[in-house]
Order: sequence, then C-alpha cells, then structure tokens
Amino acid sequence: MDFEAIKKVTLILLEYLPNTLSLFIWTLVFSIPIGMIVTWLKKCRCRPVNWLTDLYILIMRGTPLMLQIIAFHYAIPMIVSSAVSSGKTGGIIPFLQSIMNNEHYMIITLVVAFALNYAAYFAEIFRGGIEAIPKGQYEAAQMLGMTKMQTFFRIVLPQVTKRVIPATANEVIVLVKDTSLANVIAFAEITMKAKQQMNFYSSILPLFIAGIFYFVMNALVTMLFSFIEKKFDYYK
Amino acid sequence: MAILEVKHISKKFGDLEVLKDISFNVEVGEVVAIIGPSGSGKSTLLRCVNQLERADSGEINVCGMNMLHTEDGKAQYADKKTLRDIRLKIGLVFQNFNLFPHFSVMQNVIEAPVHVLKQSKAEATAKAQELLKKMGLEAKAKSYPCELSGGQQQRVSIARALALSPDVLFFDEPTSALDPELTGEILKVIKELAQEKMTMVIVTHEMAFARDVANHVIFMDQGYIVEEGTPEEVFGNTQNERTKQFLQRYNGGEPPLA
Repeated sequence: MDFEAIKKVTLILLEYLPNTLSLFIWTLVFSIPIGMIVTWLKKCRCRPVNWLTDLYILIMRGTPLMLQIIAFHYAIPMIVSSAVSSGKTGGIIPFLQSIMNNEHYMIITLVVAFALNYAAYFAEIFRGGIEAIPKGQYEAAQMLGMTKMQTFFRIVLPQVTKRVIPATANEVIVLVKDTSLANVIAFAEITMKAKQQMNFYSSILPLFIAGIFYFVMNALVTMLFSFIEKKFDYYK
Repeated sequence: MAILEVKHISKKFGDLEVLKDISFNVEVGEVVAIIGPSGSGKSTLLRCVNQLERADSGEINVCGMNMLHTEDGKAQYADKKTLRDIRLKIGLVFQNFNLFPHFSVMQNVIEAPVHVLKQSKAEATAKAQELLKKMGLEAKAKSYPCELSGGQQQRVSIARALALSPDVLFFDEPTSALDPELTGEILKVIKELAQEKMTMVIVTHEMAFARDVANHVIFMDQGYIVEEGTPEEVFGNTQNERTKQFLQRYNGGEPPLA
C-alpha cells in the first residue's frame, strides 16, 4: 500500500468513526444509570428481586457479548416472522414491526445489547464501591440525625464515586474496543470498514490503522479519567 | 432530674445474652464512666441507648421522652418522630472518629446543623468556629480529616457532636485508637467539658481518668452491672470479687488503690 492508499483508508475509517462513537456514547448513557438501578435492586430487601438480579448479572456476564448482540438483533424479526407465518398479526406484532422497520433499527438493538451487558458490570462495580464504605459512616450520619436520603446523597455517594473511578475507567476502555463486536451484524463501524479495506488492498495495514483509531480514543479516555481521579485526590 | 433512665434492658445476639437486666440513671450535669473487660457489653449498652442497636426488652427514657418500653415481654419503640427528637438530644463520639473524609473539618462540623437543624450557614459556621477554637483546632478548619492526627480527628468529632447542642454526650472508648500522648489531649477536652457541667456517659479503659472525672462509675461484666457507685466506692472500697480482679490487673497486679 502506498501513502495515497493509506490516506484513503484513513479517511474512510474517519467517516465511520461517528458510528463507533455513537455506539460508545449511547451505551454509556444507558448502561451507567441501568447499572445503578441494578445495584439498587440487588441491595433491596426483597429476596425474589435479588435472585432475579443475580440471574440477570449471571447471564449478562456469563455469555459472550457477541452472542448477545446477535440474539438481540435477530430476536424481533424472528418473533415477527413466526407470528405472521402462524397467522397472528395483532397484539404487539405491529409495534415490533414498526421497530424493525425503523431506519435506526441496527443501532437500537446494538445499544440495547451493549447497555444491558455493560450495566451488569457497572452494577457490580457500584456494589463493590457501596460495600466498601465503612459502617461507621452510616452510624455517624444516623447519630447526627441525617435522613436515609441525606446519608446516601451527601455521605455515601461522593465517597463511592471516588472509589469506583479506577474500575469504571477499566470498563470504559474495554467498551471502546468492544464496539468492534458490532461488526458481527454488519454495523458499519471502524473494524467492519477496516476488514473491507483489508480485503480490497490485500493488506493488513487497514487493520493497523483501525488499531491506531482505538488506541487514540483510549488514550483520551485514560487522560479524562486520570483528570477526574485527580479532582478527587483532595481526600483519602 | 434524670436525663437518661435505663430500666431492665436486655439484649441478645442470637443465643448470646450480651445485656442482662441493666438499669441505671444519669442525672443532669453528671459524668458517668462505664468500665469493664472487653465483651462485657459496655459498647452494646451504649449502642442500645443511642438507637444503633435495638434492645430486646426494658425501658429507656431520654430527657423525659419515652424511647422504649416493654409490652407483653416485647420491646416497643416510640414513633419515628419521637425517636428522631431523642436522637437530636444525644451526641455520640465513636472510637474510630467516623469523620466524613470527603468533607473539610468545618464541613464536618456544620453538616448536621445546616442540613438537619436547618440553621443558616453563617450561624452554623460561627458556632463551629467557636467549638473548633475550644478544641484548639481553629487553624485546621479547612483541613481534611486525612491530614490530621488521630487526636485532632477525635477532637473534630467531639466538636461535630457538640454542634447539635446535645443534652447528653456519649463516648464509646474515645481514646482506644490513640497512643498515650494523644489520649491525653482527648482526656483534657473531656475534663474541660465536665467542668462546664456537660452531661456525659463515657465507656473507657482509662481507669485513672474514670476515677478522676466521673461522678458515678459502673462496672460491667458478662452483661451485668456487677458494681456501681462513686469513684471512691468502686475504686477505693471495691466490694465485688470480679471488680477487684479486674482493677488489680489494671494496676499491674498490685492491689487496688486505697
């Protein structure tokens, strides 16, 4: 590959960078709040809810994300086609069809699969953070007459945030790279395009360029997190 | 007037009876020291009075409000509002300080006055400054707990408890996490509070201090109050065999001071 070809490939990958980024960002936007909810469900005092939450986490962490992506992507079309072929067209079928025909169907199923998967990991990170807060902090707050809400938002949450930053950074870095799994359902992101260019030029260089893209993104993520970590450095 | 009345309190952890029929009173302005070997139930008793543990039966009245009474052998706690009112009358200083690490010294002290008592920040800050000055910490208002020595942290936690102007202050082994030098700082502060007629209940292993500061000494062993009285009675004229043994150990094997 000559320099012109490298430039051309780089520009093509750059064109599909927004797809990779939107999958990354939407996953974060949904998985972090869902993760918090899952943590809360896991810590609530209702046993059946705890079991269901455990099961959810077990499945999400216990099976490959790639399989989950495929399953979520093909589940709705399969439900619809089997319903239609057996003559059922009422109920939720029209609704499912409308989702299926949505122009963003692919990114929707990807974000659902990614967010549910990452929420399981985030939930465990947050739980670890909450459980690391000494009992004495709750007791001190209680003795000062603080309500449960005040205790959580003013005492516990700020300390949990500091504690979960390193583990969260880890997870976000993995997510940057995991967006490449979206190519299994032919989502046009960087890895998918790099593979096409690899075949076109019969060269491994496009994959190398894609690697540089991920590397730069993760360098930025790493810098951002060390900045946040420093912000919390004023206490131990 | 009794500021705290504890009557026939019992408490079990599983099959283990940690408190057995405990009764005592604390009068206004009195300093009560609770001493005894580890595992005798001193801390559990304090935690029951402070609502950090629930007693199984008995009666507790704080400042004329009923916190707990027993009906048909089962403990009945007062409604939430009363429990909260009682809690605000009581301050507790922990063995491990339990300061909020993400707050500065000043924020630690004004947190409850501002967010619980809804005082203005200016009012709370003025009072906090006064308290910190009393604790010899006026220069440390902007520091974070991790930057302070153990003794300083414990003084902050005393200021934090006093910021709510409690009617009675409890100490749960306030010097057990400190070396002898820092212990001295804390004992000095408590002595000063005693001179100001602050009502205090102190669980401690500092026998000399208990003898010196307390008006009333309670010796506990295996969940019972086995001996109580003035320091002169308990230390000087020990009646109970178990108390004698314990105090001897503290005096390095010598007989208790006469």
